[in-house]
Amino acid sequence: MWNDIVTLFKDYMGTGLIVILFLVAVLYLWMNEKRKSIRILFIYVPVILLLLYFNPLFASLVYGVAGSEIYYRILWLLPMTIVIAYTAVHICGKLKGKAQVLFAVAMVFVILVSGSLVYRNPFFDEADNPYHIPEEVVQICDAIEVPGREVMAVFPKELLQYVRQYSATICMPYGREMLVDRWNDKDRSFYDAMEQEQLVIEEVLPGVNQWQCHYIILPADKPIVGEPEEYGWIWFGQIGEYAIYRNTNYQLNVP
Amino acid sequence: MVLGLFIFSLIIIVLPALVGDICSPVYKGSGKWVFRWVSGQFLLWAGFQLIAVPLILRQQGFGLVVLLYWFYIAALLLLTLGIRMRRKAYDLLPPVSAGRKKEKNAWLHHSLWFGFWMLLVLQLVQAVRLAYADGDDAFYVSITTTTVNAGTMYMKDPYTGLATTFNARYGLAPFPVWCAFLAKMTGLHPATMTQVALPVVLIGMTYAIFYLIGNRLFPEKNGQLPLFMMFTQLLVLYGGYSFSSAANFMLARTQQGKSVLGNVVIPFLLFLFFVLMRRLQKNEEVPKELFLLFAAAAVTGCMCTSLGALLVCVFVGVTGLVGSIMYRRFRVVLPLAICVSPCLIFAFVYLVLK
Repeated sequence: MWNDIVTLFKDYMGTGLIVILFLVAVLYLWMNEKRKSIRILFIYVPVILLLLYFNPLFASLVYGVAGSEIYYRILWLLPMTIVIAYTAVHICGKLKGKAQVLFAVAMVFVILVSGSLVYRNPFFDEADNPYHIPEEVVQICDAIEVPGREVMAVFPKELLQYVRQYSATICMPYGREMLVDRWNDKDRSFYDAMEQEQLVIEEVLPGVNQWQCHYIILPADKPIVGEPEEYGWIWFGQIGEYAIYRNTNYQLNVP
Repeated sequence: MVLGLFIFSLIIIVLPALVGDICSPVYKGSGKWVFRWVSGQFLLWAGFQLIAVPLILRQQGFGLVVLLYWFYIAALLLLTLGIRMRRKAYDLLPPVSAGRKKEKNAWLHHSLWFGFWMLLVLQLVQAVRLAYADGDDAFYVSITTTTVNAGTMYMKDPYTGLATTFNARYGLAPFPVWCAFLAKMTGLHPATMTQVALPVVLIGMTYAIFYLIGNRLFPEKNGQLPLFMMFTQLLVLYGGYSFSSAANFMLARTQQGKSVLGNVVIPFLLFLFFVLMRRLQKNEEVPKELFLLFAAAAVTGCMCTSLGALLVCVFVGVTGLVGSIMYRRFRVVLPLAICVSPCLIFAFVYLVLK
């Protein structure tokens, strides 16, 4: 458990520079801050919380209640942003003239070098629409929705996490749970068959029939082994890079 | 869309600012409306949690939650009106400027505030312009979408839409259901509500709380407040050093309950402790409205995520104990313990249902 706690702390620190800056700020305040309320909230409480974080007894309690993955959130209780910003302004206030400006500029430089711009995160991308959902998902869902009833459709893995965010009437035999390795208690046979390099209809058919899928959505360039029409799959259309097949074996009547 | 955004701004800005008047004795000085807005929203969130969770556990429909929540809002508005009418006339006068000195260097002061607003606008524009691909949204946003569409809560698997056994554990932290309330009332698509409209407000609320804290930290040297605010912004903007940092959650996963816990609820608790300790320092009576806000923040923490109960208890427990020892005012411990007692109840229910 100790190793887990330290690993989580290291992950939380990233490069470690901002956390070091925070600890230096706490040390500076320890030596220079006079106001009792600030000493309590910016020095004593953070130190106690850090001691709690590294306390195996406390950790085992939290692990037992909430699990190990989210233990790092205890560190959210440390007011790092506020303490660093306050300390920087506090030091600025003690300086005069050019030294004040130079320190402020130096502090900005230190923050820029120590941290990393959040928007550099590779998961950020220009939004396609006001839903912040890939446009192809929106168009596919709009195309296959039937007013007044739910529709069962199977999607490629890269679209799984978005479909239900946009449409509550499109159901799927499997969803995002297939993408998380540690949730491996689910039956993955249908998903594995769908995600092979080429789609072998005979292999996916049991899943399609079990879940009574009305639509099958595939990457348009994915090779298909077998004739879709022979299985009742009719070409419905193509949206972006995805081909849509309508499975006529299952009716889509409005109840 | 325009009408929806107008209704959204009424519900998320005007309504809390009105309701927050209940707690106005807690905070005097500049930024009074900012305080009312934030504290009003906490009162509203706490009410939502107390209404929604019992109904979720009883597997009632979403429509009933909406109806009862509107009754709660109406009751709060009536209470606000009643309290306002009873308060003395001088309360209606504009606040005194808390003894602030006139700026020596007004040009620098205004430039720093200008810089702050520019950085804030940049973050809000990015919240609208950039989409963040996060797998957890497949859970949270889908719950919101399903709740609006089906009118049921936690009865369908959010990943697939298939009927599932009722999972009450998630229902103890119904922040996505509150998002569904906003989406239903405004007519905005749940995905737009959660991923575009709400982040703009929540980012603004975090800085509003930083501003309130800054006001406490720099009560007289006003020129330092905008500098402090700009440093907080830089630290948030450059908080991408780790995927798990609160700053990263604030800008990337703004609308998720856990982010609200880390970037709104915990900073607000810190602000409340500043207010409490100032009273203790001056040996003044602690207004009951302050404890009301502690309780509202504690309940809101539970609404955000199941871990909220634990984090709030740890933070309030440690800070309350250290504060009471340092000020030798042990009488505040009991009211603080009562304030976080809902967390213990939610935690107990969580453990029973786990």
